[in-house]
Amino acid sequence: MIAMEQDIKADRTSNSAHSTQHTALPLTIALAKGRMQDEALHVLACAGVSVSDEALASRRLAVEDERGRYRFVFVKPADVPVYVEHGIADCGVVGRDVLLETEADVLQPLDLGINRCCIAVAARADATGHEVGMLRVATKYPRIAAAHFGARGVPVEIIELSGSVELAPVLGLADCIVDLVETGRTLAENGLVVVETITESTGRLVVNRASYQLKATAVGELIEALRQAVGVGAVTDA
Amino acid sequence: MPDGVRYYFGAEARLRRAVEDVAMSVFAGWSYEEIATPALDYFALFDRGMGHGEAQRAFRFTDTDGRLLALRPDVTSSVARASATLFANRPRPLRLCYAASVFRQRPRSHAEWRREWTQLGCELIGAAGAAADLETLLITIEVLEQLGLAGRFRITLNHVEIFNGLAAQLALDATAREELRRIIDTRDTDALNRFLAAHTQSAQTNAARHPLTRFTGQSDIIAAARQQLTDARSTSALDALAEVWRVLEALQLSDCFEIDLGDVSGLDYYTGLVYKIYVAGAGTRVGSGGRYDELTANFGGREPAVGFVLDLDALTDVLARSHSTLALNGQTQPTIIDDDDIATRFRAARLSRTNGERIELK
Repeated sequence: MIAMEQDIKADRTSNSAHSTQHTALPLTIALAKGRMQDEALHVLACAGVSVSDEALASRRLAVEDERGRYRFVFVKPADVPVYVEHGIADCGVVGRDVLLETEADVLQPLDLGINRCCIAVAARADATGHEVGMLRVATKYPRIAAAHFGARGVPVEIIELSGSVELAPVLGLADCIVDLVETGRTLAENGLVVVETITESTGRLVVNRASYQLKATAVGELIEALRQAVGVGAVTDA
Repeated sequence: MPDGVRYYFGAEARLRRAVEDVAMSVFAGWSYEEIATPALDYFALFDRGMGHGEAQRAFRFTDTDGRLLALRPDVTSSVARASATLFANRPRPLRLCYAASVFRQRPRSHAEWRREWTQLGCELIGAAGAAADLETLLITIEVLEQLGLAGRFRITLNHVEIFNGLAAQLALDATAREELRRIIDTRDTDALNRFLAAHTQSAQTNAARHPLTRFTGQSDIIAAARQQLTDARSTSALDALAEVWRVLEALQLSDCFEIDLGDVSGLDYYTGLVYKIYVAGAGTRVGSGGRYDELTANFGGREPAVGFVLDLDALTDVLARSHSTLALNGQTQPTIIDDDDIATRFRAARLSRTNGERIELK
């Protein structure tokens, strides 16, 4: 917040300024804790933005990168879009699954290609294909599930769970589940199979709409550096 | 209390009042005449004025005769109707301004949580061209400067015909057009490349990727876009943007601006220049504006028009957080009036008030 209140004219000059001094507008980046954190930090390191092991080892939730240009905050995945939408964080790294579920109003300039997985409908392998008047769907993604079945005109009862969704069909709480599938091992262990893939999900760079304009130079540099690191630099400025 | 509404009191209410006064005095300084519109009107007015999608967010209920009413979700629709009817015979251009609350159901954004907020707006009706567009931009800048926000705001400029030209050239149906709009709106470069690859045949249009995927910049982005967007609609839109930019540079104001080809909101409503206003310290935009030449046609006569709104509540938030001294100017200590005899007390009160003093009765 404090960073945002500085004179934004500094943004226009930060291009030349940060190489000699790192006082120009630091960017705040929200990272999803957990599964995505390591891969996100790896991509950032490839882009020349590294956080010392010492800083990571500490249990602080806000740390700076080694050159003092970026401040990182570590929050729960579902909270990344919240911080970015409010402009408390300028940028964030979060999975597409979270963005779809929260319907976050943020810019998504870059697919980082990390933590590739899919959101799928899964059911018991022995489930018979008989027609039901109402499908019971257990999920951590009620919006995605409702939108998916709604678009197909299938009436569903959404049962929202906060974890161990695979149990629901096994115990008879639901007919099927909508969940993130990475390797499919957890599904297989519980006797479930993927019936239909709804969409792919990867880690994405998201940017606050105001920061994209007010800190255009700094945000643009970060996007370009990450684009090169990810190796999708096919369309860059000539 | 329901979601999305709130009280204002104390220092915050004083600041909010001061912001409104600054804006209205700037508007008056540019000869914009205040207009107050009904807070309650037929839903059909907003459905025509804002377009079906946006009007859906209005709070609706039925009149005693069964007709559908709405709490106004915007002021522009009503102003457009007034200019086509009440002011049909007035000489043009019309310069109208307002400070009015608007009501909308919760939008997509979670950061924009308000369902009631106040718009400070100007409408310049019956004037076409870059000069009219620039007039509204300069008024916007003056308000922000007078609020003490100089150097802390940025206004993005775009022209809707750049997107419309591209969509027409690609011969997109409504679904594909909306898909392209959504991709550009979220600046999703990878998805845009995939989309253009799927929808273009010739190498010539293929090259159109470049300026749109870069999205923002200053005059350089107009030059880059010219290289690639060669259809007539996009070209004349780029000419219009370049003309506005040339004047802003001549006025040494271009540092406050950014060209943002990725601003593709309100395409069904705007017909020319569009702009969005951002202030450091606010995570969402604090205002927007643009040209809407087709709007008044809904109410009788088609005429060129351009206007903008600033969000009073968002501006108050930013200023309150940065400890603005705006509301402190002219604040005096009250004269305390105390006398056991009621008549004496009020005689003293009336005398002090005649002298223009602030009083507080014991």
